[in-house]
Amino acid sequence: MAIPPNAQGDTTGSWRRRWRLLMSDWLDRRAPPASQVVLDHRRLFILPTRAGLAFLLVIVLLWLLATNYENNLVFALAFLLASLFAVLPLHTFANLAGLEIRLLDTGTAYAGDFATARLAAARGKQRPGEHISIGWRESEPVTLQLEAGQETEVEITLPVVRRGLVRAPRLLIESRFPLGLFRCWSWVDLDVEFLVYPQPKPAGPLPLGESLAEGEAEQKRRGGDDFSGLRPYQPGHSLRQVAWKQFAAGRDLHSKDHETGVDSRLWLDWDLLGGRDVETRLSNLCHWVLEADRQQLAYGLRLPGRVIEPGGGDVHRRQLLAALARFPVQGV
Amino acid sequence: MAYSGRLPRESLLWIFAAQFAVLLPHFARLPLWIVAGWVLAAWWRAEVSRGRRELPGRMIKLVAVALVVGGLVLSYGHWFALEPMVALLAVSFTLKNLELVTRRDAFLSLLLAYFVAATLFIFDQGIPHAIYGVLAVLVVTAALVAQAGAGSARPRRALGLSARLLAQSVPLMLLLFLVMPRLGPLWAVPQEDASATTGVSDSMSPGDFANLSKSDKPALRITFDGPVPPPEQRYWRGLVYADFDGRRWSQGFGVDPREGGQVFWRDNEVALPEVGPRYRYQVIQEPTRSQWLFAMARPHSATDGVGETRDDRLVRSEPVFSRLAYEVRSWPRDSINEVTPMGDFDRRRNLQLPDGGNPRAREWAARLRAQGLSPSETSDAVLSFFNQQFTYTLAPPSLGADTVDGFLYDTQRGFCEHFAGSYVFMMRAAGIPARVVAGYQGGEWVEGEEYLLVRQYDAHAWAEIWTGERGWQRVDPTAAVAPERVRNGLQTAAADEFMRDALVPLHRFPVLKRLQLQWDMINYRWYRTVVGFDSQRQQDLLRELLGQVTSARLALLVALPAVGALLGIWAWLWFSGRGRRAPPAARLYRRFCRRLARYGVERRPGEAPADFAARVGRELPHLGPMARSITTAYQRAAYADDPAALVQLRRLLRGFWPRLRRGPAPGQG
Repeated sequence: MAIPPNAQGDTTGSWRRRWRLLMSDWLDRRAPPASQVVLDHRRLFILPTRAGLAFLLVIVLLWLLATNYENNLVFALAFLLASLFAVLPLHTFANLAGLEIRLLDTGTAYAGDFATARLAAARGKQRPGEHISIGWRESEPVTLQLEAGQETEVEITLPVVRRGLVRAPRLLIESRFPLGLFRCWSWVDLDVEFLVYPQPKPAGPLPLGESLAEGEAEQKRRGGDDFSGLRPYQPGHSLRQVAWKQFAAGRDLHSKDHETGVDSRLWLDWDLLGGRDVETRLSNLCHWVLEADRQQLAYGLRLPGRVIEPGGGDVHRRQLLAALARFPVQGV
Repeated sequence: MAYSGRLPRESLLWIFAAQFAVLLPHFARLPLWIVAGWVLAAWWRAEVSRGRRELPGRMIKLVAVALVVGGLVLSYGHWFALEPMVALLAVSFTLKNLELVTRRDAFLSLLLAYFVAATLFIFDQGIPHAIYGVLAVLVVTAALVAQAGAGSARPRRALGLSARLLAQSVPLMLLLFLVMPRLGPLWAVPQEDASATTGVSDSMSPGDFANLSKSDKPALRITFDGPVPPPEQRYWRGLVYADFDGRRWSQGFGVDPREGGQVFWRDNEVALPEVGPRYRYQVIQEPTRSQWLFAMARPHSATDGVGETRDDRLVRSEPVFSRLAYEVRSWPRDSINEVTPMGDFDRRRNLQLPDGGNPRAREWAARLRAQGLSPSETSDAVLSFFNQQFTYTLAPPSLGADTVDGFLYDTQRGFCEHFAGSYVFMMRAAGIPARVVAGYQGGEWVEGEEYLLVRQYDAHAWAEIWTGERGWQRVDPTAAVAPERVRNGLQTAAADEFMRDALVPLHRFPVLKRLQLQWDMINYRWYRTVVGFDSQRQQDLLRELLGQVTSARLALLVALPAVGALLGIWAWLWFSGRGRRAPPAARLYRRFCRRLARYGVERRPGEAPADFAARVGRELPHLGPMARSITTAYQRAAYADDPAALVQLRRLLRGFWPRLRRGPAPGQG
């Protein structure tokens, strides 16, 4: 069994955990991760289901009935069902064997939400694949019906709890075709990794014009109204900062650039959210990013050790969110 | 009660279809209320799936269970029998329908259906039942297929898949059927009610045999190993009636094994005659629901559960509820020289007569006795009386209180039981121990299959008298009146009356009669090969197949197909697990890469063929041109779909065998 990387170590089920780890190691050796997998006898497992065991019981009862009544037709029926029981696993196996599963792409998600991966499933020409369910144990699987030679796309989802680069557990591909008496399954590791953004948590209004600070970056320590230069005026610049003198002197409209503690642009700053734990800060920043993006502001991000200049657009937003997602996990 | 519609409608319909299929043949046997209950429950559940009704609550279910239990008690009164058991199964079906909610319930119901299908065979193992059973199993399996939902529930798909699966199971089933040992009953099981016997019954009163003569159902099928007895010897003894109460002949106390009658069950307890048996045969008997079997005198059987009685009959330890086959060896009485003298008890028993009644017959018997005739002379006198004045008829007139007097002196028209009964009465009254024997006489020889078919209308009653020095001798009074009855059977002896009441007078149309015989032949074959396949026949067959049944050979018989099957499966898994087959050009190119890899130049993952060829040229200059032309041919074949290039690629590859010894040593050795 694959064990999700974010699984909590609980002490009560430690032996079970160890067993799962062992299984997972074994599986990793037997069926190493690959983005494309053809199910074969090394990857497929097959066992009777509970209904299958009940079916065996019926066979035994029929045999007893036949023996006690010395009834050859009941014997024949018991043996027919026993033979059926022997033939079934072949069908169940053949239904999955040769199935090709390929990872197309993975999406992103916010923590606490569902991450989606897109897969391609393809069948060889010889036979169809029926009632194949694909999914992670943690969520509802997708059921497939494949014609012989058909290829189809599936989207499967995984609930993600924590932000960061989340490695998906092994996928469970299973089928109970044709009678539901046998279950054939495979744990497939398609090497799926999701980039999970922090869960957005509101932290008050956007810090418009607030970004500042004591003990912030050195270049901003100059303070006051120190004039540091002119830059071309752009819509959105404060009128108070327009260099009217220069404008009057016949030059273009410029804004005076003051290196003050107050930045005119929107800086989503790690330090504005002091006093909270790391994950909460990241969640709040994430919310701000989304909010700023919604209001179509130009915004930048300051994280310890990383600064992303203000900007806008999808690519920018994704860059910021990725930075938040990849922020090192503290104290674990 | 919340209904979570987890079972889709089509899977529900399939369950009902499966239940109907397995219950249908039982409907005739089950009380009507069970049938009605099942229909009601199925209807209710269907309404639930349509959303028109809720599943029944706990109270309704309790009431239903109470009603059903009460109904079963009222209908049957006893539990340890087959029919109440089947009724119980049917009822549990019905009740399960009321809580058919999850997939688990569906599986349970269908597994139960397999079991009900099996009970069908307990009642009847004939060909029609077997065919019906196969169909029922097909439907139940299809219902299992349909439980997967979606396209699988389509009737065609479900039935087709089910048929395919079952057909694939047949070879293994046959193997199991042949080699799986039959253990014999492990414990006593409930049987059908023994009350309603068919065929010859354990007592005889006027009119009984005439009733039997209306049925052309088969009673016995007999195959001979060696000589076949002539028609006048074919007396299949089933019962001996020693007790007469003035109207009814019955077995009398202490004869029936159920009442403690002495039976020899084992070979070694019977003193077998020195002379070999004259007839060896196998009897296949239709179910009679009674214990007695049919054989010629004096019989002995080595079949398990069959024993001999002191009056030279065969009985079985259990009533015959399904067709039964038993082997018999018979020593005709005249081949046995030594005669065990008759004890007092037997003498009294075989001279017993009611205290009063039939004065005229008794008077005549006293006259015969006074003449001092020997037993056979007395017998001849009575028989010649029959021969002169009597008529053999299937529709004898009814008799008064003194049945023997009425028959002998008034009506003088009768069927076998009249002749046999009156004859034995006369003999006893004349002081000669005598008894009535009932069974079948004659039989129709089926050409082609070489067996004797004995039908119900061959039922017959005759007599045996004690002759002292020669022991018991058979006397058939009917033969004195209608000798053709014994030689040619009832149809000739009573041509006008034969089967007059039959709905379809088959016997009048030779073609139909032939067809009927053909059908019986098929039935007989079916029984010989399938139904009657017991451990004895299993041994014989295995001996025939293996020459000699040793555990090694038996293991070989099982292991060979098993190993074959395993190899087949292995090969199949090997091929089926490979996914889609690459196009031929790609396969050829891969072969090229493999050969180079053996030589030490391995294509890196993702390396373009052209790059690879260039690298080969650099590392192994002597192979460079060849690698380049193969690569070009591959690219043309794979991407330009050029058939000529494919041919060329194949040709080039045929000559491409890089050798380690030739040329400079490869890069990394």
